[in-house]
Amino acid sequence: MPLRLVLEPRQATAPLRALISLATTLGLAWAFGSLVFALAGADGVSGIGAAWRAMLQGALGSALASCWVALFMAPGLPPRLLLPVALAAGAAGGAAWAFAPALLKARLGVNEILSTLLLNYVAVLFMEHLYYGPWRDPAGLGFPGTAELPEAVWLPTFFETRVHLGLPLAIALAGALWWLLARTRWGFRARVLGLSPKAAAYAGFRSARITVTAMCLSGALAGLAGTGELLGVQHRVQDGLASGLGFAGIVVAFLARLNLLAVPLAALFLGALLVGADQLQTELRLPGTAVLALEGALLFGALLGEFLAANRLRLVRRGRKEPGHVG
Amino acid sequence: MRSSETPPLLSCHGLSKRFGASVGAGGVLANDAVDLDLYAGCIHALLGENGAGKSTLMSMLSGWLTPDSGEMRLSGAPLVLRSPAAALRAGIGMVHQRFSLVEALSVAENLALAAGGAPDPKAAAELAQRFGLALDPRRRVAELCMGERQRLEILKMLALGARILILDEPTSVLAPSEIGTLYANLRRLAGEGRAVVLITHKLPEIAGAADEVSVLRRGRMVARNLPRDPALPDGWNMAALSGLMVGRELPGESAAPRRKPGEAVLRVRGLCGQGQPPVFSDIDFEVARGETFAIVGVAGNGQEALTATLGGMERPASGSVEVLGRPIGPRTGRDLVAYVPEDRHGAATVPDLTLAENLLLSTTGSRGAFFSRRAGARAAAAAIKALDVTASGPEALARELSGGNLQKFILARELAKAAPLLLVEQPTQGLDVLAVSEVHAAIRHAAESAAVLLVTGDPLEALALAGRVAVLFRGRIAGVVDATAPDAFDRVGRLMAGLGAGGPDMGLAAAGGGH
Amino acid sequence: MSADVFGGLDLQNLASLGQIAVKSSTAVLLAAYGEIVAERAGVLNLGLEGMLLLGALAGFAAGAATGDPLLALGAAACAGALAALLHAFFAVTLGVNQVLSGLALSLLGAGLTGVLGRDLLGAPGLVLGSLPIAALADLPVLGQALFNQPLLTYLALLLAPVLSWAFASTRLGLVVRACGENASAAYASGVPVRLVRFGCTCFGGALAGLGGAFLSLSYTPGWKEGLSAGQGWIAIAMVIFATWRPLRALCGGLLFGALTAAQFSFQTQGAELVPVWGLRAAPYLLTIAVLTLVQASARLRRYSGPPANLGRFFHPEG
Repeated sequence: MPLRLVLEPRQATAPLRALISLATTLGLAWAFGSLVFALAGADGVSGIGAAWRAMLQGALGSALASCWVALFMAPGLPPRLLLPVALAAGAAGGAAWAFAPALLKARLGVNEILSTLLLNYVAVLFMEHLYYGPWRDPAGLGFPGTAELPEAVWLPTFFETRVHLGLPLAIALAGALWWLLARTRWGFRARVLGLSPKAAAYAGFRSARITVTAMCLSGALAGLAGTGELLGVQHRVQDGLASGLGFAGIVVAFLARLNLLAVPLAALFLGALLVGADQLQTELRLPGTAVLALEGALLFGALLGEFLAANRLRLVRRGRKEPGHVG
Repeated sequence: MRSSETPPLLSCHGLSKRFGASVGAGGVLANDAVDLDLYAGCIHALLGENGAGKSTLMSMLSGWLTPDSGEMRLSGAPLVLRSPAAALRAGIGMVHQRFSLVEALSVAENLALAAGGAPDPKAAAELAQRFGLALDPRRRVAELCMGERQRLEILKMLALGARILILDEPTSVLAPSEIGTLYANLRRLAGEGRAVVLITHKLPEIAGAADEVSVLRRGRMVARNLPRDPALPDGWNMAALSGLMVGRELPGESAAPRRKPGEAVLRVRGLCGQGQPPVFSDIDFEVARGETFAIVGVAGNGQEALTATLGGMERPASGSVEVLGRPIGPRTGRDLVAYVPEDRHGAATVPDLTLAENLLLSTTGSRGAFFSRRAGARAAAAAIKALDVTASGPEALARELSGGNLQKFILARELAKAAPLLLVEQPTQGLDVLAVSEVHAAIRHAAESAAVLLVTGDPLEALALAGRVAVLFRGRIAGVVDATAPDAFDRVGRLMAGLGAGGPDMGLAAAGGGH
Repeated sequence: MSADVFGGLDLQNLASLGQIAVKSSTAVLLAAYGEIVAERAGVLNLGLEGMLLLGALAGFAAGAATGDPLLALGAAACAGALAALLHAFFAVTLGVNQVLSGLALSLLGAGLTGVLGRDLLGAPGLVLGSLPIAALADLPVLGQALFNQPLLTYLALLLAPVLSWAFASTRLGLVVRACGENASAAYASGVPVRLVRFGCTCFGGALAGLGGAFLSLSYTPGWKEGLSAGQGWIAIAMVIFATWRPLRALCGGLLFGALTAAQFSFQTQGAELVPVWGLRAAPYLLTIAVLTLVQASARLRRYSGPPANLGRFFHPEG
């Protein structure tokens, strides 16, 4: 079947797109960035929840923010500034969505996995309210969704594919994030806090502040991911704008073993896989949730892989155990 | 205590256990063909330093580990143990150094968990009375003191019909006065026909209690079933046993030369901790340059929170901590305190970071937005060299170091700050004898130029290093003892048990009161 | 009498509101009990949402195929338990990160039910209606709320005291608590820790599966994608709010139900005070508010500690 897909003229661009073009890839690349960030900022387990929140709400919130810029401020802004302002609004929106759970977590220890998950439903409800209600396209023949955004805010694409400016931006951001975590004092502190909150207290770091900053930063990154999806691919706010993006981010970060520099590769891999699934889905007329099942299975597979890797390590370590550890 | 013809209750022959390699000669031989006989009515002390293989041996006897080779016989019949449950059925009960009690459950519930059936406070009370171990069955374990928890552990084993009781480092959590009660209880239980094993690396503590001694060194039994020698005053030739344990000459621990203390460096005024009631309260003392001041207490008397507050990790509810007139807190004055906390692997270092990065943990001042791996590596190399740390280099992960080497690395890092105050908490817990002497030497050296505050649960360590020893009991300083006084050990022991010093107190606020 | 007319109408309203409130809490309650049992044994299972969906689909499909209520409920419980078994294998046997494993299960559940249930969308099926309990159902207000409900709602109401008693006074409850508080101590006492954890996780999965079946057979009969709408996550929040106690979970669940009922009531009365999306978001926001309250109050927090070994892997050899 894949061969047929490649040869059929109608689908001729599919493999190429599968490799690099799908916008999911860049969404993922950003998603991973925010995820790793959150992981560095909080302890491993809670970081995942933070990232999850960042993913979905951040993506939606920021998409809404930039959409607002595009829809309502476009007439008043010089066209050249429109795209940067929309992107900035997206990032700011993402950070803002992240702020409340971050503060609740840092000050009161409210479990952010739960708070962010529950807020996801709120975000989706709010978005539905907007595109079913006040923001609905009057010319849309009753179809729920906003009007198409002006072309001035679309992210430029390359080579007639769906690869848009977001991809190089995402790769550059991966490098920048790596630098931030590895080379700056703030990054060092965030890593220490992530690995051992007790050590951070011992060293006198301002843990609450680092947590909030890290979570807001990850929210901003996720905001960019959502904005990329909006301005680069869909060009309107509609149903399923960011669906699957958050979960995909978790899977990617896990596949990359939380190594920032490995994330673009992992994102590319998952992106290619999802494109394949996309094709299959069309062929077999599967519902969109099939992607969720695939991601769930992939996550289980990755967990199994981690178990196997860890156990090999454990055996090696047992072999090196010093007498001092035995007694 | 026994005639030579009595057959042993439990005898082990040629027990070996290797870790780290399933086949062949790789890995570490934790126990190498160990023989041991345990007799009814007899208290047997198993001596050995950390890492000698005591715990491995006892884990095999209590079913937690299966021996690779060798055999055990219970009253002459072959015995194979595949789980702790099997060992309990055979009548072998072990009280681990870390109690295996469920803190959230009550005494009766813990007993029911071990002995079967639904929880029944009345039956639990009867059981406690039958074995003469006083316990309130309705209280939650979290509310019990260490001595009570230990009694509960013993009672659990007895409820299961244990005829052989193994206690791992039973005295390490007890106040000196509680040790006496423990030994009296064990003597009575042995008298009823049980075999009791005490595992310890503290020689002096076995003197009064043991009938027999075996010594384990590097996985081998170097002395087996030595009987008590009535001709000696303690019953034992301590020097000979010590030599057997260590197998080499130890660098002698010379008493610190008494210097004239300088100006007061650390001033603690009216310090009260968080919580209701506060975990510690009304703490007042001063430590001068060139002086070592020790705070001792049995675990759970507030010293953990007090140390964290003195080190600036926690805020007090009231009162002040000042070093050279500057306040110490989470955001202030951290550069004035060289602080070695008890938690080596979680607080003082991050196990998954390199030594170079760990070095920057407590020494990052306000030097710009960037952090320099190279400076960290240089300083880490210097620290490794300063205290002779065994590590592959600054890029080694902290988790790869043994406890003693990691502690030396932390100490070197903190000493390099040249801070006016050195605060060390439980500096030698879990270290082997050699590492202990090296850490002690480093602390003595530091005391020549700085004020040293030592927080420890071990009164012997406090008296060996400090000029004055303050005893913390239920969150308050119960008294301060001059370490040079001839009866210092007794008085510290009585204070730790909450009995009062029974002698003239030095006074709580005697600044710079060393001699 | 005028009072009769006035009061009668009001009581009628109140009774039906109460009935809806209790009914609306059922799925959250069953899932929360299941999670409490699993967490008390030390296993954190964030796969509730997936198990609810799997139970809902399995129950609906079995009901539609056989028309037998018992088979439908059995299928739902089995589906939930099987999904939990997968999580238990990863969490208890392999010892991987339980948060991730639970998330994976939620994903898998949502995705699989979407794929498998596509032909059942909008299909007619079995409906499990109310089973009024004779005389009791005629009591004013309370009769409607407590004694005129579907079978699973009675189960949800009864299970709280039963579980509460079992935790406090039975050997099994003691063993479960010990596994969650201190697994190695339990093991030292001869408790088969991993078996207990497997059992509790699967029991929790079965309850969540039943909760799902309630949604697709009684609450909103029929199958639709994602019909649990986050109730699994609300149930997890409820467990924290309830400080791992079944009776408090009952209170939390009823509160959630009351809120849902209030939302219906507002909607039917066309109240424009609060926008509809705000009303629909209220349960989620209120759950967050309750979590915040629990964390902020020192007095509440003192009694709200999770089981000490929650989410921690236990292996006999260390």
